Amino acid sequence: MPDGKLFGQPAIRIDGRAKVTGRARYPSDEVVANPAWAFLVTSAIARGRIRGFDLQEARAVPGLLDILTHDNVGGEAEKPQPMSGGSTTPTLESDQICHDGQIIGIVVAESFEAAREAAHKVRVDYEVQQASASFDSPGAEEEVREAGEHKDYQVGDAEAAFAAAEVTIDARYGTPTQHHNAIELFTTTCEWRDGKLTVYEPSQFVYGLRGSLAKQLRMEPGDIHVVSRFVGGAFGSKGGITARTAWIAIAARRLNRPVKLVPTRDQGFTIATYRAETRHHIQLGATPDGKLTSFRHEGWEVTSRPSQYNVSGTETTARIYACPNILTKVNLVHADRNTPGFMRAPPDTPYMFPLESAMDELAAALNMDPIELRRINDTQTDPATGKPYSSRCLMRCYDEGAARFGWQRRDARPGTMRDGEWLVGWGCATAAYPANIGPAAARVTLSPEGRARVQIAAHDIGTGAYTVVAITAADRLGLELGQVVVEMGDTDLPAAGLAAGSSHTAGISHAVAKACEGIRARLAEAAVLSNDGPMAGLDPASLVLSAGMLRGPAGQSEEIQKALGRAASGVLEVYAENLPKGVPPDAMGKIYQGQMAMSRGHGREDAITYAFGAQFVEVRVHARTREVRVPRAVGAFASGTIVNPLTAHSQYMGGMIWGIGAALHEATEIDPREARYVNDNIAEYLIPVNSDVRSIEVIMVPEEDSQVNPLGIKGIGEVGIVGMNAAIANAVWHATGRRVRELPIRMEHLL
Amino acid sequence: MATDIMLTVNGGQHRLAVDVRTTLLDALRERLDLTGSKKGCDLGQCGACTVLMDGRRVLSCLTLAVAAQGAEVTTIEGLAGEHDPLHPMQQAFLEQDAYQCGYCTPGQIISAIACVKEGHANSADEIREYMSGNLCRCAAYPKIVAAVQQAKPLMKGR
Ligand code: FES
Ligand code: FES
Repeated sequence: MPDGKLFGQPAIRIDGRAKVTGRARYPSDEVVANPAWAFLVTSAIARGRIRGFDLQEARAVPGLLDILTHDNVGGEAEKPQPMSGGSTTPTLESDQICHDGQIIGIVVAESFEAAREAAHKVRVDYEVQQASASFDSPGAEEEVREAGEHKDYQVGDAEAAFAAAEVTIDARYGTPTQHHNAIELFTTTCEWRDGKLTVYEPSQFVYGLRGSLAKQLRMEPGDIHVVSRFVGGAFGSKGGITARTAWIAIAARRLNRPVKLVPTRDQGFTIATYRAETRHHIQLGATPDGKLTSFRHEGWEVTSRPSQYNVSGTETTARIYACPNILTKVNLVHADRNTPGFMRAPPDTPYMFPLESAMDELAAALNMDPIELRRINDTQTDPATGKPYSSRCLMRCYDEGAARFGWQRRDARPGTMRDGEWLVGWGCATAAYPANIGPAAARVTLSPEGRARVQIAAHDIGTGAYTVVAITAADRLGLELGQVVVEMGDTDLPAAGLAAGSSHTAGISHAVAKACEGIRARLAEAAVLSNDGPMAGLDPASLVLSAGMLRGPAGQSEEIQKALGRAASGVLEVYAENLPKGVPPDAMGKIYQGQMAMSRGHGREDAITYAFGAQFVEVRVHARTREVRVPRAVGAFASGTIVNPLTAHSQYMGGMIWGIGAALHEATEIDPREARYVNDNIAEYLIPVNSDVRSIEVIMVPEEDSQVNPLGIKGIGEVGIVGMNAAIANAVWHATGRRVRELPIRMEHLL
Repeated sequence: MATDIMLTVNGGQHRLAVDVRTTLLDALRERLDLTGSKKGCDLGQCGACTVLMDGRRVLSCLTLAVAAQGAEVTTIEGLAGEHDPLHPMQQAFLEQDAYQCGYCTPGQIISAIACVKEGHANSADEIREYMSGNLCRCAAYPKIVAAVQQAKPLMKGR
């Protein structure tokens, strides 16, 4: 647990003023001189090849500058390597079409309007093949996912235990295709100067983008500069490298002029990633007093033809409850679709829905309170591996959440809590998310005025990372928050990893704290060697920085500016790298090369590290129309140290509202014959709007965990959504007696 | 098809030649370097591009630049100079943490000011309803409602 005073104090975002005045420069806001405009041409079929283009009409558009297709630039770039899952679908490298909406051409013109007009005038002659849209489509190929990036678990004999169990649940569930739909579009601006490339693009991993581009364009990474100072929402969608960037770089090189791309919202559905639809088969066996005796979970996930991408949330579901017999398995189904990727709580959101629904079904079958069922099966040891949890406060979350929610007033019988026209239902579910952490480097510079500059290529995707970095530095250096300046989101800065997997706050604060410790140590060493100073001869390790002073154990003190003068004549600069437990020794080098390196909550030798939460939801289902509303939700979470409760609250709350969207609104509909997304805009892809949301209460259960990492930080960006799907489905069951096992839950399920 | 137009934005006059198809949003962002107004859809679906025209909130992505002539356009940059005190609505968004990524925020703030001035901020329910044209994918909604409630009494006479 950190000893600092600023850790855990609510702090207004240091970048807040820039955001509320419109002066924060997101990548498409960065100024470049005299840019040309790009517009993407995307395929109108999902499978086949391009016989040829007719570009005559497009070329006749006034202001047209260039048209890129596989014919003229196909050999100039390679496909990007996804962060996970191996290969991906092509774009301009060849005449092949592997999904609807694939980038097949790039039109560049003097203006956005001219580029758009010309793009719409590109005629494509396709050789069409029958496409497979999803599960059950003719031609979709199913395979068992081999153990590799993700594991399967087999403990005891789950089949025999299930057959012998006195109480069983055996059910199938499904979750839909979803798209992140951050409000910021997938913009890219590229500019060349003297053979060096600058890319302005919203990114969750600027070094990753640099490393991939270097390979794709066969360049030196050092000749590429990626800038992403602000990101207008990501949720996973800006973590992977997409194909567009390399082609825009090539377009800019061909014209010797900056090129700007602002793709349309519908193009965002197919040029980046998404959450694929999943299916699940769950079998639970239990004793009459509620002890689990068997847990089986088999999942199916859709991916593109070439990709092995999968999320395998069985890595979480296998270890939530004590159970002597466990069996998990995951299958992939390849269809003619773009490659899926990380989306907020990638494994856990789709996989915890079936587990936590099945637990509710089991509680009903046992005639037991659903919280009691979780208590009976709670564990401090991971049943899948036998390792201890570094900390696990699940039942404290349930107790505090239940008290706040008023759970004891719940009438367990479904359909009994009616309020006039509305059927009221209360449901709960467990949330869990691994405490991941990555390596990071940071540079801290202390100036003679007693101000600090922190430089780290970290990413603030809305999480409050700028402020987390400032809090850490101010706390460690004994400065005020306002005395710290933070620079992030730029490959000219020391590297940090992918801002994903709820790992970023933990990763970057340890790096910043380490660099600050370097500053303290240098100041302390100089102070004890200064014979004229108040700390001459003291043990340097005994000196601390606080409230603008370097202080000794017996009350000796000296202003930080003065202490700095003893250590350096100008500024004092310290660069530090932090390698967390559980990552290989070359992990920092990997980050600099743009590869992913992360210690995962279920991958460590010594312990399993997870954040937990208990989520409670009230739903109201209209007795006649079956409209579903969520008037209130309570989430209680134990995620170790909370660096900034103000922004942490926003993250938890945002996650919970995402959960309302996932359970009740969001689904990308797919035309089964054409393998095409139908509602590819933000009016028909339904996300929660202001009037969909009422009371959202967040409880941060205090938790100290020095084993997870020295600062005790577990990460919070994802755990807030994880239990919501099931909590809402369980509440809908409680309101109506209908068990809905397919998301999203809509009126038609309840008529 | 370029045409010369005159735009009045944040009190300043700007003469520029635009393609007649250019939206007010693109004119602001790409020609006047007023990048506070954001493009989230270009289809009138998200509200990120909301600006005031003669005090009324409009979607600048659905307004042609040529059609904005003669109107007083106010963007997020027009609410407070770089070193000035913030508008009460901006201050309330800051203090309530009524955002995360901040991309919808300029549109939310402009819309919230109009919501108060229209007289549509009399209850939390009314604010939710009249702020539902501004999507926030980070889902800061409850804090946006709180920010509007905080700023409303401070906006008297502005
Ligand atoms: S950009 Fe204008 S409403 Fe979305
Ligand atoms: S703050 Fe991110 S979309 Fe609203």
